[in-house]
Amino acid sequence: MKKKTESILGMAFFGPALVLLTLFLFVPMVLTLIFSFTDFFALNPGLTHFVGLDNYFQVFKDEDFRQAFGNTVKFVLIIVPLQGLGALGLALLINRVTRCKTYFKVAFFIPVVMSLAVVSTLWVQIYSPEGILNSLLAGLGIDAKPFIHSSAQALPSIAIMSAWQGVGYQMIIFLGGLQAINPALYEAAEMDHASGWQKFRDITLPELKPLCVFVFITITIGAFRMLVQPMVMTGGGPSHSTYTMVYDIYETGTVNWEIGLASTMAIVFAFFVMILTVIQTILTRDKEGKKHVYKKAKKN
Amino acid sequence: MKKCTIVFLAAAIAAVLLSGCKKSAPKPGSISGYDDGEQYLSIWVHSIENTEEGWCYREAADSFNEAYNGQYFADIEFIPRNDSGGGYSDKINASVMSGNLPDVLTVDGPNIAAYAENEIIGPLAELSEDERKIYLDSIIEQGTYDNKLYALGAMESSVGLYYNKDILDEAGIEVPDADHPWTQTEFLGVLEKLKPIMDEKNGYALDMTFPVGEATIYYYAPFFWSNGGDFADESGLQIDGVFNSEQNAETVAYFNTLLGSGYMSEVPIEHLFESGRAAFKFDGAWEVNTIYTSYPDINLGVAPYVVGDNWSGERYTPTGSWAFAASAKTDNIEGATELVKWMSGVESGKRMWEQAKLFPSTYEAYESIDVFTTDENYKALYYQLSTYGHPRTKTPAYPQVSTSFQQVLENCVLSGAKPQAQLDKSVERINAKLKRYTLEK
Repeated sequence: MKKKTESILGMAFFGPALVLLTLFLFVPMVLTLIFSFTDFFALNPGLTHFVGLDNYFQVFKDEDFRQAFGNTVKFVLIIVPLQGLGALGLALLINRVTRCKTYFKVAFFIPVVMSLAVVSTLWVQIYSPEGILNSLLAGLGIDAKPFIHSSAQALPSIAIMSAWQGVGYQMIIFLGGLQAINPALYEAAEMDHASGWQKFRDITLPELKPLCVFVFITITIGAFRMLVQPMVMTGGGPSHSTYTMVYDIYETGTVNWEIGLASTMAIVFAFFVMILTVIQTILTRDKEGKKHVYKKAKKN
Repeated sequence: MKKCTIVFLAAAIAAVLLSGCKKSAPKPGSISGYDDGEQYLSIWVHSIENTEEGWCYREAADSFNEAYNGQYFADIEFIPRNDSGGGYSDKINASVMSGNLPDVLTVDGPNIAAYAENEIIGPLAELSEDERKIYLDSIIEQGTYDNKLYALGAMESSVGLYYNKDILDEAGIEVPDADHPWTQTEFLGVLEKLKPIMDEKNGYALDMTFPVGEATIYYYAPFFWSNGGDFADESGLQIDGVFNSEQNAETVAYFNTLLGSGYMSEVPIEHLFESGRAAFKFDGAWEVNTIYTSYPDINLGVAPYVVGDNWSGERYTPTGSWAFAASAKTDNIEGATELVKWMSGVESGKRMWEQAKLFPSTYEAYESIDVFTTDENYKALYYQLSTYGHPRTKTPAYPQVSTSFQQVLENCVLSGAKPQAQLDKSVERINAKLKRYTLEK
């Protein structure tokens, strides 16, 4: 009897979420998959035909999509190490700070809670040709840089800004991890006269490993979904240098009304991110396994 | 397992039921002002109510309900729209799918062709000659597609070639009259003369950028039109040989010269003109009000928009803005047309000007507003609009044309790509979008 009541109670809690998830997540996902095989045009849904794999061929042939893909990958390659290592570095520093710890934590975390659109608008001013950053550079005797107005610098500029915005979140996670490390490990290392670097390499890093996997995967997925920054700051320009995959999906679907094609892009995008995440997990898990074997061998 | 399936099925059914809710027309008495015997007309506008523009629409709808008391009732709904055009257009797209379009809706000028071609909006009921002629030619032109009138502009706009009188005086440059604009070659001479003066001011002769979005084609299309070019043929379905014509390649190269000679900055510098560090600027008609209210130190003038070297008086200056249209699904086209006429009429236009400083769409409104006869800058813009206003290119693939135009200019002028090759590439891209229409025919 108790079990039955529990089950009903469970459904009562879970039910509303399930209905909403079905409505706003599962149904759209299935529809996207179906639309990706059609020429669905938002202004004239009545004329929709089944087109098989045509959209998929078209997407891979599409120069804009390929460029957007390249840009996105480039962005990921810049931001993942920058934000991941940045967060780790900040966490290590703050962990050592004895005074004003809360101040630093809050200071680095504030950008995370700010709206990305607001942060982007602020940085447009910071990066502007006569903005604060160029004024600082001028003070140092360096020529003004175009930043987001040059096709070579726009993407790295946005990546740096995004890393600054997001780094606080991962920093807090690492900080939690650092504080959870058993101090006895460090004490033991000190007895063996281990250097700071040795302690970091042999205690801190291995202990943080599971967190690292989580942090790097979340940064990667977040980076692949980049849209707001180029939309607010550059409109995808100059010369399409900050045009990302999600931006292309948005433009194709809402500005050009090609829902079918946009759905195909979304499927390709989701598939790609999924593969990447799986690879990342396998790679990290494998190493863990090997290490385990190594440790075992050593014991014997 | 079985239980799981049942739970999921139940969730799916609940979800479908929720999403299937369709809004039905309200009954008389359920909305204040909607009485028995009145025909209900729903209307959507692309603005939030709490703005100057929103108030104008609210007042216009209220006055319509007063004037047509006992006959029609207009129920206005405000739908916000973001800068990139989302929000409002997303709602339209979704409603096209669900069949929930209102009787009357606002449409941005360049979208009229696509909406008409895809039967989202329908032709208005017949307007008498007297009713038609109150509107500026550019408004009728903008609203006409395939020889049928679909939409009437709620407001008008244009792009002016603004100049700083003090700087031009310093350089001893005389501005020509409205019917004899500088040709593109003459304009290069003017800029050359200004360059040393502007270098001294740490500025540029021309404050010019190529912003992403509709602004670029809206601002600079006159360079192409007045040079014998266009972006699509009359049907709107053929662009090969038009978009990538020799004249257009030549005009793109002209922009290269502007940058190459150092008359404009490679990167956009904010408020260059407004801070007195540029002699000229191309901008929307709203710039006059901005300068008057926020930069009173600038001695502003409006020069006639530059023309091609072989221009012989054709229409060539930018026009167009949001317009009211009747949805193709309305079962009351007479009522919807009355509402469209009212919302875009003389009184609405005057209100638009008073509240939001947006240009009206009827001759009578201009004549009754003082500044269009007393202020030389507004007078110049009105003259340019009414005498030389050219509608934006009408093609259902307009979004692609607009995006491609911006990319061509950006790639060629700022990144040094070859104009003809870029234009050809754009044609391929636009044609891919046009295929949908040309195949159906």
